[in-house]
Amino acid sequence: MELYFQQLLNGLTLGSIYCLVALGLTLIYGIMHIPNFAHGHLYMVGAYCVLFLCTLYGLNYWMAILISMVILAVIGIIMERLVFHPLRDSPPTNSFIAAVGALLFLEAGATVLWGADYRRMPEVFDKVVNIFGIMATQQRLVVIFSALALMGALYLFMKKTLIGSTIEAMSQDREGAFLVGIDANMVSMMTFGVASALAAAAAGLAGPLFLVFPSMGGLLIIKAFVIIVLGGMGSIPGAVAGAYILGLAESLGATVFPAEYKDLVAFILLVIILSIRPTGLFAKEGR
Amino acid sequence: MKRFVKIMILLTLAVALLAAAGCGGGDKDSGQAKEAKVLNIGFTGPLSGGAAFYGKDILTGLEMGVEQVNASGGVTVAGEKYTLKVTSLDDRYLPNEAATNARRLVKEYNASIIFCPHSGGIAAMQEFNEVENFLIAAYSSEPKLYARGNKLTLLLPPPYNSYIDPFIKKTMAEHGKKVAMIQSNAAYGKDWGTLFAPAWEKAGGTITINSPFSYNTETDFAPYVSKALATKPEVLFVGGASQPTAMVIKQARDQGFKGGLIVLDQAKFEDMADIIGMPALEGAIGIYPYYMNPRPDKAARDKFVSDYKTKYGKRPTYEHVWHYETALALGKALEKAGTVKDAAKIFESMRQVLPLDKSIAPIAIEGVSPKGGYTNLGMAAYIKNGQYGDPIDIPRTE
Repeated sequence: MELYFQQLLNGLTLGSIYCLVALGLTLIYGIMHIPNFAHGHLYMVGAYCVLFLCTLYGLNYWMAILISMVILAVIGIIMERLVFHPLRDSPPTNSFIAAVGALLFLEAGATVLWGADYRRMPEVFDKVVNIFGIMATQQRLVVIFSALALMGALYLFMKKTLIGSTIEAMSQDREGAFLVGIDANMVSMMTFGVASALAAAAAGLAGPLFLVFPSMGGLLIIKAFVIIVLGGMGSIPGAVAGAYILGLAESLGATVFPAEYKDLVAFILLVIILSIRPTGLFAKEGR
Repeated sequence: MKRFVKIMILLTLAVALLAAAGCGGGDKDSGQAKEAKVLNIGFTGPLSGGAAFYGKDILTGLEMGVEQVNASGGVTVAGEKYTLKVTSLDDRYLPNEAATNARRLVKEYNASIIFCPHSGGIAAMQEFNEVENFLIAAYSSEPKLYARGNKLTLLLPPPYNSYIDPFIKKTMAEHGKKVAMIQSNAAYGKDWGTLFAPAWEKAGGTITINSPFSYNTETDFAPYVSKALATKPEVLFVGGASQPTAMVIKQARDQGFKGGLIVLDQAKFEDMADIIGMPALEGAIGIYPYYMNPRPDKAARDKFVSDYKTKYGKRPTYEHVWHYETALALGKALEKAGTVKDAAKIFESMRQVLPLDKSIAPIAIEGVSPKGGYTNLGMAAYIKNGQYGDPIDIPRTE
């Protein structure tokens, strides 16, 4: 029984990280209808930012994450301007290809700049805590609660600020948003900024638990895509639910089935959910 | 029409440029020919994709060795002076690509020696290397490669089956008889497991769980570690590339595992200690760190370690030093053989020139066995009280 609680904790940690990455992906998809394959690689760049801010500049962990979020927001905005904005009137295929191009560029760039070696972020919360026989480092709890806090912040941002409302308006009804005078350029840039900042936060939180290396984003982006398909493309609650479902399915699946079948559990779940609700759990109406 | 003309002009320019570049290259080649011919040493390994780090890393040791040979005047074979050059082709870790690369290296680059750092590629090349007359310098501890009886394969590291019995003996004595196997599920890790499991049981141990998993496609190792620890093992059998292995061990320690560790030979203690520190590795048995290896001449070893560090900014491991010294020996063997073509003769001379002079040999290769492996003993370390302890000799089982 203890094992299942341990796996529940593992699954929640994993789900929290998936969640922050998938939220960014679904935001971008909701507004711009671009599957941003490079999103996982923004996560990778975010991880390197936090790593260098901590190790080279000796910054406090939380400061490093905050600054990385700002840096990544700027990188995200630049990416939107340079890569996706010029393609806004072309067929969607072009944006697909551009996203793959951006992905390759980021990965190769990171390899050239920082080398292909695995690196490790210094641990800040390395005390082991024992909760009713479940052992975990504080870092795992930090991940779970920080992710919740960030989701809360994102909710407030979307509901209570003008920029947030324009993003939401645009994702609900593009033409309607134009009619009431919402500036599409501004919204696109903001969306990329927010999404990339979330990726940086996810990377900063996950960093001390995992290794940092140039192709680390590739693993995550596939999961993030599964999540947003599961939750309904473009849906924010869908991404949250999907992320925790996948995180828990993976860790509990690994308990019940041999390691080889772990991905099978996640994908069978995907097949079942999609055959009951082909548009995903929280698909938007009228699409 | 206008556009067509423009394109034509561009194309012509491009062709002209290419031709010019070609001429430049040609001139250079013939210029060198007057002094020394270039002899290509082939290398096929993963240079792109997920394993690129491994391939490029291996290449550094070989290149450093070849540079050393050239710096001390190149090689003179049958009165003709040669400089060595490493020609590396990318096989993306795929056996079929390795075989294609080997053919290209032989046909286009006249290579008679090809290095390869993965068992799949080596096995693929063994299918035709005796017919096409090239020597494979194999960096793999896969015991199956010995069993094939290939006459033109030089095997660098000790085969991993050598480690199994000594590892089991020491670990059982120190920690107990219950092992959980969570090594990498790559072919290499699985093969290690298939030899390890029966040996452990034969020695009177039990396997609480045998559940290898992917060390390079998982984001989080914790679920697998939790599952294994739930079976209450006294020993964990782990291993894959050093860095992910270190993370697996860290997860186990974070979840309260206090027992022993058997680390398969791909993972290197010194690299893991850099990531998670020595305390996490307490009670682990694995490969003795190269930079402390007491067997070669200390001055030669330290010089190599510091030269490598200066050049590549990190500490060398066995991967680098085996390749480095093999390149030095190869230089001598070519001179002795008096041929750059006849692989069998070069291999035979290789047996004769070893061991090299102690002062230049950072790993002190002793010789080549009849089956084609270096005869050096392996060396293991058992970590106790944060120290590597005395090296444990591992006889090579071929």
